[in-house]
Amino acid sequence: MTPFELIEPRTLDEALRLLDPADPGVRPAGGCTALMLMMKAGMLVPTRLVSLRRIEPRYRDIVASDDAITIGANASLASIEHSARVRDELPALARTLRTLANVRVRNVATLGGNLAHADPHMDLPPLLAALDASVQVQGRGSSRYASIEQLISGYYETTLAGDELIVAVRIPKRAARGCAYRKVTTRSADDWPALGIAVALEREGERVRAARVVLGAAVDRPTRLLAAEAALQGTRLDETSARRAADAAADEARPSEDARGSAAYKRELIRVHVRRTLLEAWCDEPVGAVRQ
Amino acid sequence: MSTAQRIIRFTLNGEAIAASVAPHENVVELLQRLGLHGARESCGQGLCGCCTVRVDGLAVSGCLYFAVQLDATCVDTIEQPFGEDGLDEVQQAFAQCGAFQCGFCTPGFVLMSRELLAANPEPSEDEIRHYLSGNLCRCAAYPEIIRAVQLAARMRRARS
Ligand SMILES: Cc1cc2nc3c(=O)[nH]c(=O)nc-3n(C[C@H](O)[C@H](O)[C@H](O)COP(=O)(O)OP(=O)(O)OC[C@H]3O[C@@H](n4cnc5c(N)ncnc54)[C@H](O)[C@@H]3O)c2cc1C
Ligand code: FES
Ligand code: FES
Repeated sequence: MTPFELIEPRTLDEALRLLDPADPGVRPAGGCTALMLMMKAGMLVPTRLVSLRRIEPRYRDIVASDDAITIGANASLASIEHSARVRDELPALARTLRTLANVRVRNVATLGGNLAHADPHMDLPPLLAALDASVQVQGRGSSRYASIEQLISGYYETTLAGDELIVAVRIPKRAARGCAYRKVTTRSADDWPALGIAVALEREGERVRAARVVLGAAVDRPTRLLAAEAALQGTRLDETSARRAADAAADEARPSEDARGSAAYKRELIRVHVRRTLLEAWCDEPVGAVRQ
Repeated sequence: MSTAQRIIRFTLNGEAIAASVAPHENVVELLQRLGLHGARESCGQGLCGCCTVRVDGLAVSGCLYFAVQLDATCVDTIEQPFGEDGLDEVQQAFAQCGAFQCGFCTPGFVLMSRELLAANPEPSEDEIRHYLSGNLCRCAAYPEIIRAVQLAARMRRARS
């Protein structure tokens, strides 16, 4: 392995200063789970890794306010999974984390590393997109918010500059929102999925006030299925309307063909699983989200 | 700090030690160099759990963890001795149930089962299967492993 240095700065400012946008070998590091795999595969030859794990502890916090839950980029996936706040208010996120990788990976992998990795097969990006999350990105002297769709620009590609870091993810609270994520694996259960489908529905009485339907894994980045969303708007959610929206999703999606299935097969998977995910999201009852 | 070897200090199974490590070295490589062979690299990708160790009380895959990051931590491995005969309830239960054939995966299963029982003293079979789903046994001793975890849970409850 080519030599490199691993630095563990104590502050975010110091970490930002250690990054170098001119050198692609300089990389931030969270839990290092994805980085080490890329290094083992020869896909990444770093000159310097800037580990974030010893920066100010507040970047690990999970904080709830009246209108949002904000999760620090350094929070481990396990700490999010076990957070009482998350379990109560975002049960779909806690459920999704239970089947993401395994206990040991979740103990070390961070939310920031998870989102910056931008492997299209990952579970959290579509789910967080459905939850309308915004990602707080910090540069030297600048700060911006990006939606998941603005952050992830393609296959392993993000809009992060070489000297920018993800510092937090803000998930807005919505009254009467139900959410669900389905990971559809066509080979072994622990394989990457053929598709991931995330749905968030805002209810108004027995009707859908607003819907977000996001497809992952079968496409190169988390992709909203806008025709399906439009088909749901204002409807009473039941088998028939779920089926209609799922047909719209299957028509508009452009799944890619790979070892996990042909494009035509994945289109049928989309039809079946969008319907099921919609029905699950409709029944999801976060604590405190009173039905209106 | 540089690309050269670095001295790290940490607690290994209760004893303070210092070691010189290269930046690319992973935890399994370091432990093997220190003469501890219980954590072993098999898949090298975080999938199988053969390389499990505990760092500051959390189970991690040693194959996906840089050794330099052990600096100032407490590390427990399967070599950590317990009680009079050196074995804890989980190890006794694994032996009693014959929860292995070749034994290659056993250290990882034992450490993960200990974690599970610490968090959940009375796990259901589903909970055991779910928690251990990131550990692979090529000899497929799974039924015996599940029985061993259930036995260990009973032994622990009887003790406390
Ligand atoms: C065995 C195994 C199974 C897995 N199974 C699943 C699964 O089922 N579902 C799933 O979704 N994922 C799965 N993964 C992927 C896993 O989710 C990622 O490896 C993990 O989330 C990456 O987080 P990390 O903190 O370790 O990132 P790192 O490896 O530290 O970093 C990943 C990337 O993000 C960059 N980065 C890190 N932190 C930041 C930051 N704060 N700001 C900007 N850039 C940053 C790094 O430079 C690097 O490019 C699996 C991984 C393994 C090893
Ligand atoms: S060798 Fe580390 S998990 Fe398989
Ligand atoms: S006993 Fe042989 S791999 Fe598990």
